[in-house]
Amino acid sequence: MGSWGFIGLAYGVASVALLGYLFLLKGRLRGARDELAALERDGGRRGR
Amino acid sequence: MGRGSSRAWIFGAAAALVLATGLYLGLVVVPPDAVQGEVQRIMYLHVPSIVTAYLAFTVVFCSSILYLWKRDLRFDAVAVSSAEIGVLFTGITLATGCIWGKTTWGVWWTWDARLTLTAILFTIYVGYLMLRSFAEDPQAGARYGAVLAIIGFLDIPLNHMAVQWWRTLHQPSSILRPGGTSVASVMLVPLAINFAGLSLLYTYLLLERVRLERIRHRAAEVRLKRGRRG
Amino acid sequence: MVAGMLRRTWAMTWKDVRVELRARERVNAMLFFAALVLFIFNFALGPDREKLREVAPGLLWLAFLFTGMLGLGRSFQAERENECFEELLLTPGDRESIFFGKLAGNVLFMVTAEALILPLFGILYNLDIWPYLPSLALVAFLGTVGFSTLGTLLAAMTAHLRAREVMLPLLLFPLTVPVILGSVRATEVILAGGGLGEVSHWLKLLGGFDLIFLVVSPLVFEFVLEE
Repeated sequence: MGSWGFIGLAYGVASVALLGYLFLLKGRLRGARDELAALERDGGRRGR
Repeated sequence: MGRGSSRAWIFGAAAALVLATGLYLGLVVVPPDAVQGEVQRIMYLHVPSIVTAYLAFTVVFCSSILYLWKRDLRFDAVAVSSAEIGVLFTGITLATGCIWGKTTWGVWWTWDARLTLTAILFTIYVGYLMLRSFAEDPQAGARYGAVLAIIGFLDIPLNHMAVQWWRTLHQPSSILRPGGTSVASVMLVPLAINFAGLSLLYTYLLLERVRLERIRHRAAEVRLKRGRRG
Repeated sequence: MVAGMLRRTWAMTWKDVRVELRARERVNAMLFFAALVLFIFNFALGPDREKLREVAPGLLWLAFLFTGMLGLGRSFQAERENECFEELLLTPGDRESIFFGKLAGNVLFMVTAEALILPLFGILYNLDIWPYLPSLALVAFLGTVGFSTLGTLLAAMTAHLRAREVMLPLLLFPLTVPVILGSVRATEVILAGGGLGEVSHWLKLLGGFDLIFLVVSPLVFEFVLEE
């Protein structure tokens, strides 16, 4: 692997890590928001 | 729930712009290093990455103290979020450091002072995240985490001294500094820009991660209230 | 006020010592484990005398640290098993005494084990340690105090956790790297005949480490004990 190969590897690994984390984070946020909405909906109904 | 979201994306967009600039400057514009050649360009990623990680861990330290003092869960949310992102950046630092090491010394790993210190730092904060997740309840996890974060942060300078003395007493200090023994001023530019870009990215990730934590807090509250009523 | 604190600290330490004297579990386990470590390293590293001499200081401290780890893991075991943590909190007086009491006990056990491991080490690896004993003792004491200070704090924290046997070493070892490096390097120089003067920077590091965490740990200990 030439110099630029290693440079590409380094920047590539970093990009995958950062973008991957962001992507997963967005997924976790969506999941948590849905969960909270479901909880609040049920809680409201049961409280009547 | 759209309160915070309107502002966070600005940091993300700014980060993308700044990093794109830094990438262009570092990979295309700036000339290769006289000693190391092209691979020195990895430093434009490696160095800002570790500095951002230290920034993240400083935030963990401060918000941990604030949490133990004020007991406001928002401080704890910032602490755990910043730690997670700090671990991410430390991991990137390690990976890029190993790759750079492979091109320079021919081996993926060496017990060089900086690599070793980064590995120790990584382990300390991974331990922090594990401690929190293994605690019997989230309140205990927050407390233990805060204590560990304070201890860990105070430990970092001691680790630095120990590891550096260990290495320099046994072998001559190698030319590890980015760009050789002195950093040419033109090389400082992509370093600074990438640090600014990564800091913006850190801020963006932090805001989103804290939002996730706050949603979880609220869900826990709702469950608690329902438990009492039911 | 100081007298009261010293009294409470001593009460805590003495309780742990009495329990240990009766059951003799901890020190026995520590000694047996240390002997095992020393033997196995000999088999793992082979018969080359010179090679063994080179790594001897590291081996000694591996034996000390793993043994210390074992003892620390048990230091809050009695409290956890009998659910005495709440009682500890109800005890009148400051949390700092509890910490120092526990710490003193842990240091005592670890130093006792070290004192017995050292001659065994000298015999097994054919090293003449007696002329260096005072210097070795100083280094061992500084290292033990540093290791035990963070160890006591983390042992209290991990006592309640799942996977506590793994969590304690995982958390403690990276944090005590300065102690490990300082102790091993200083021991190496001393065993090679160098005096304390040559290792003064390591001694200062060990001393500084001890001082910082002896101050900070009792302060944060109360947050660990809370229920």
